[in-house]
Amino acid sequence: MNTRNVLLVATAEWCYWRRSSLGVIASVVALLLVLASLISTNLRIDTERGARESFQATAEQTFKEQPARHPHRMVHYGHYVFRSPAPLAIVDPGVDAYTGTVLFLEGHRQNSAAFSPRYSAAQAGPLAEITPAFAYQVLLPLLLIIIGFASVAREREGGTAYLLATNSVTPTELWLGKTVALSGIAAIALIPLAISLVFALMQGESLTIVALFFLGYAIYLGCWCTLITALSSWSRRSSISLTFLLVTWLLLCIVAPRFGTTVAGIAIPLDGKIQSDLAVTSALRDVGDGHNANDPAFSRLRSQLLEQYNVETVEELPVNFRGIVAQASEKDLTALLNEFADDRMAQEAKQTQVARVFNVLSPALAIKSFSLSMASTDLSQHHQFLRDAEALRYDFVQKLNSLHAEKLSYADDIRRGSDDRAEQRTRVSSENWRLLKDFPWQPRSLSERLLDSLPQLLILLFWYICSAWLGITGMQRVFKNNDG
Amino acid sequence: MKDFVLVAKELCVERGGQRVLDDVSFNVGKGEVFALLGGNGAGKSTTLLTFLGFIAPSSGSVTLNGAVVHEHRATVHQQTAYLPESARLYPHLSARENLNYFLSLASVSCPDDEIEQALDAVSLAAEARSKRLSDYSKGMRQKVAIALAILRKTPVLLLDEPTSGLDPVAIDEFNAILIALAEKGTTILMVTHDVYGACHVARRVGLLQRGHMVGIFEASKNGEISAEEVHRIFVDHQRL
Repeated sequence: MNTRNVLLVATAEWCYWRRSSLGVIASVVALLLVLASLISTNLRIDTERGARESFQATAEQTFKEQPARHPHRMVHYGHYVFRSPAPLAIVDPGVDAYTGTVLFLEGHRQNSAAFSPRYSAAQAGPLAEITPAFAYQVLLPLLLIIIGFASVAREREGGTAYLLATNSVTPTELWLGKTVALSGIAAIALIPLAISLVFALMQGESLTIVALFFLGYAIYLGCWCTLITALSSWSRRSSISLTFLLVTWLLLCIVAPRFGTTVAGIAIPLDGKIQSDLAVTSALRDVGDGHNANDPAFSRLRSQLLEQYNVETVEELPVNFRGIVAQASEKDLTALLNEFADDRMAQEAKQTQVARVFNVLSPALAIKSFSLSMASTDLSQHHQFLRDAEALRYDFVQKLNSLHAEKLSYADDIRRGSDDRAEQRTRVSSENWRLLKDFPWQPRSLSERLLDSLPQLLILLFWYICSAWLGITGMQRVFKNNDG
Repeated sequence: MKDFVLVAKELCVERGGQRVLDDVSFNVGKGEVFALLGGNGAGKSTTLLTFLGFIAPSSGSVTLNGAVVHEHRATVHQQTAYLPESARLYPHLSARENLNYFLSLASVSCPDDEIEQALDAVSLAAEARSKRLSDYSKGMRQKVAIALAILRKTPVLLLDEPTSGLDPVAIDEFNAILIALAEKGTTILMVTHDVYGACHVARRVGLLQRGHMVGIFEASKNGEISAEEVHRIFVDHQRL
């Protein structure tokens, strides 16, 4: 193979695009599109990161600065945790836009995450924000099609394929030249992504992840470049090539993702929110009311304690029975709520796994999963946020219950509603609110992300190889007589 | 026995279940101009494309300097310059750019003045040479393609309707170029409708009729083929 001929063909193709208004307009639109999406998403995510981190700090400070209070009042005062966007969310915000990003943590409850950016008034609707990931995964292939659909078909249609062949250009050289030319356009479109990734690096993202993230998108766009020239080589006319490619884009970028999620939804059905909440409420009826120490659900606990401390009444216990009941109740209730939450998350994860099976059908699906995993903005990251938040909630609620049990006398506790002095004695100093831990949310580890995204990278490579094979075999037809 | 550069032997080509060429045999010697005449659908262009290796024979063979064409396509292309019908070049490039591009691909090193000489030889106006081919007439595009064929300096020229779209003066100039090239040893196979032009340039003329070679006319001792006779036979066969 003559590399010089490949480059000559590629240069001639660039010259053609430069001189054709369609090529110039499509290239400018592609560049503007990715630039605009990167800038707007970058600014939004940066603003949100700043706001969420600031809110997180304020929430922690506010909790810790609460005056002396009864510990159970602090259990209900609660605390907020905010999911700070991952560094790569500037490219792929992922599920962040659809799942809540703020959780209110309080005793006896596991609240749902609130404040999804997608449902805020200004950003309502599925296309309200074109994220860079969407631009690169869905829109850029369309623009590459507009630029390159005729690349090979035009040579066939115009009869120049024969002239190229008789001037020592082999089918492979011609196809490679066309693919290199189109890949050049894709490479230019990747420059804004590379700049954004530098920002992600500055936000603390790992260099390995950033490099692989870029490589994944480069392979994905490479897949499209090879696919476009391949299908163009199989078409006798440019119009047929354009039709083929638009149908392919529709199938791979629009239909296949819907198909995957629909099948996953049918295979692993999930209860709606109302249904889930009703099931939780029903199950909670069997757990005692932690606010009522006389609830029959705690009679066994009472007996155990009386026996353990060898006393006759709860008033004689060295610990506050109400605090003990609150602890026990929270433990049982949390176990039950976690069971529901784990079940729900497992079902959602299964749905994702089923949907991922279909990734092999489309490079657009593979890059979507790859991008979400690498950016740490996928569903599993949201689940991790929920688990981390729940761990924090349980920790501070039980620590407050422990204060309740150990620092407050039972006698004062039961009289605090009617006796001001008893009420004063049931307050613990604000020093104790420092028991609240910092929220530990972090993107998933490098190895987890690599393990998760490697199969998707392999699918992309598979598509790359298949497209190249299709292109090379198609080119053998181009240099055979096609005049009919 | 004379060594022939181009040889078609009992050539048959079938396309879409139909026999396009049937038992066609002819040969072209070194430095000879052989014209293949025939009406529309006679199989002229198919014959040319078979010599380029773009169509494989169903039976029989075509060889270039003894090499079976469809088995040695790359070698054949190195030795052959092809002038397609209706000069299919790149409309977004100028004449000079087209020539530079194709010559670079063929690894033919041509200084600018040589390119200008070739364009002079085909009488392409100097002011047109930097304009894009999209602004050219059919005849002007044909001239650029002819210039390319000349600049390739290959031992074999395959020409498909080379004078199509040219004015009479340009046709005369083109014919003169062909004769000069043949005198320098270039083997030329051209297919054409132009009986008089073919008889003027070629030393032998083959007449194709619906895929059959119905006759090969050779130049008489004075070096001319009777165009009137060929024309009469051509028309008679067309009317059959």
